[in-house]
Amino acid sequence: MSEQINNNPNPAKVDSRKTEINRGIILFNKLGIWVIVVALVILGVIIAMANGSSFFGASNVQSILEAVALQGMVCSGLIYVVYAGNMNDMSIPLTMAMAGMMTVQSINLGFPIALAIGVLSGVCIGLINGFMIGKLKANPIIWTWGFNLLLSGIIRVVWGGKQLYADSVAADTEYAQNAANSFYAISRTYIGGVISLMAIVMLVMFVISWFIHSKTSFGQKLKLVGTSYEAARFSGINCTRVVTMSYVLCSTAAAVGGIFYAALRKTASYENGTGYDFACLTCVLLGGTLLGGGQGSVVGTLGGVLAYGILNNILSWVGLGTYTKYAVQGVVFLAIVWINTYSERKLGKG
Amino acid sequence: MERKNLKFNGSFLNNNRAYLFLIIVLFAGIFRNNFFTAFNINSVTGNGSLVMWLGLGFTICLIAGHMDLTVQYVSTLAALMCLGLHSRQGLPWLVCILIATCMGVLVGLINGFLVTKLKIHSFIATLGMQFVLRGVMYMYSPEEQSIGRDYSANEALNGSLIPGLPFSLYFLITTLVIVIVMVFMRNTRTGRNIYMVGGNLETAWLAGVKSNQVTTIAFVLSSASCALGGALNGIYSGAANISMGEKGIAPLMIALTATIIGGTDIAGGHGSVLNTYISLVAVAFLRALFKKTEMQVLVIAIILIACICYETIAQYRKSKVLGTRPNLHLEYLKEIGRG
Repeated sequence: MSEQINNNPNPAKVDSRKTEINRGIILFNKLGIWVIVVALVILGVIIAMANGSSFFGASNVQSILEAVALQGMVCSGLIYVVYAGNMNDMSIPLTMAMAGMMTVQSINLGFPIALAIGVLSGVCIGLINGFMIGKLKANPIIWTWGFNLLLSGIIRVVWGGKQLYADSVAADTEYAQNAANSFYAISRTYIGGVISLMAIVMLVMFVISWFIHSKTSFGQKLKLVGTSYEAARFSGINCTRVVTMSYVLCSTAAAVGGIFYAALRKTASYENGTGYDFACLTCVLLGGTLLGGGQGSVVGTLGGVLAYGILNNILSWVGLGTYTKYAVQGVVFLAIVWINTYSERKLGKG
Repeated sequence: MERKNLKFNGSFLNNNRAYLFLIIVLFAGIFRNNFFTAFNINSVTGNGSLVMWLGLGFTICLIAGHMDLTVQYVSTLAALMCLGLHSRQGLPWLVCILIATCMGVLVGLINGFLVTKLKIHSFIATLGMQFVLRGVMYMYSPEEQSIGRDYSANEALNGSLIPGLPFSLYFLITTLVIVIVMVFMRNTRTGRNIYMVGGNLETAWLAGVKSNQVTTIAFVLSSASCALGGALNGIYSGAANISMGEKGIAPLMIALTATIIGGTDIAGGHGSVLNTYISLVAVAFLRALFKKTEMQVLVIAIILIACICYETIAQYRKSKVLGTRPNLHLEYLKEIGRG
């Protein structure tokens, strides 16, 4: 750049563009969403104090954690798909529904086996997605969206569009009824009376996700594939396997989320998980993961999930209804994504 | 315009699969009772018209290389606004439709601004706008979640223009607008530019196309047509609620399905508004063919998946051939006489 300026025949024309990078942008880029989480917590404390109540009260913390637990579970897997540069897994809603349906349908075999079958259905969906996108290179959005519709059709035709209840599906034996009861109980267990089991499972899944992402060879390969697919292919990485693996992890996490969702709602139907595709993508993007892939972190995603939950919580403190929240969420989402994109562009990464 | 000599082979069938789909559905209709009655055709085409507008918008945006996820919500908000302005403020219908369309233009401008100036990926930008629009929708019609029923202009849109023709005026307006947009996309400079920008943004920019402007025009066209369609649908059905047009499948999903079946390239730059329209007519008749919603969803999904699989596998085989010898693909085409 400097050589060009020196060789310029007309000395009056000097390149006046700024070359140094704004420090605030670098700081924001490093800290990312946690700045916003802290800001939201401070805002929440102020608003809760104005309402004469405590933001860090046991019931409020519990409600925030419970509200984000299901989304957090799904996000801990979705980050791999976004990271690998495949934008979004649109088949998340029906993966969740399918896992719930399979678990409830096979509740007669006993609770652990039913859980395993539910998770296994998620793995199968992930394998199909991975084969189509990793091997045959289908368009990720269109394929997963179409597959979502296909799964919806299959579930509706096979089960006749009905809802399944675990206690009515279970046979009259004591074994099956116990299984149904413990299925319902997983979403209603509180450890130490405060923190729900769902939040614990979410945190455990995030720890596993962080371990896979940063400590295993798969995670390192994923970073290269996400950054540059072609470069990764030429350096001898089996890209097909990496992409397939990312989809399998995503669908497995979604299946776990779906099982908890079905247990929470006490029913399994094709409508379980509606809206989770976009909500979870929102969380992952808030966490600083680039849509193009190759940048982001699991810790940031956890921050994104928390920010989403705290924002919702604050909006209900302010007194907005469920639906009015959508508008505020949309504006906040656009603003944060814009700041994210802008800082990436200024750093020359976007 | 030069005419290629038509050959009845696989490629021909694939390029015109929307028409094939329509023919198959209409043929299957023979075996159902009361399928080809005037009343049935009228109601099927009328009720399917909303999705045709959405498909129009979605196709224009996909040709420009972007995804517009807001189409469904723009149309619903337009319907709510149109009926609301008439029943609450007492404005005449034409003004209501005009204001609703202006709202669509505004949403399109915002979408275009987000995508071109702020450089947010279109999928994400329209996703955010979708949330905003949903919030505005619930703010506009709180509690009851539907705007008062009003059947005063219902007759005009339901009635047929020419006696004996089994199509409602609403469907005829839809068809007319789609033909106009098709001519616009094919024969005007702006329309061709939309194709060019979708095909390759960099090249289009280097060739002197104002790519930002053209992208914004595509978004505005999409949102405005969806708003107009939504407003007309609100008048046609006499009532509007939050989940307008949602009969088992989200209208956005049907629009996407029809766009893919119509042969629009997912990456942009290739496709036709008319093909989307034809496949949406076919989808409307297909839904009348099956009584159960479950079967409709499954059949539509299978057709969509078949189309995606076919294109993916064709692309995969082409990529296998392309790397080995530079012009082997062309040689092969020349050999079978399609060079």
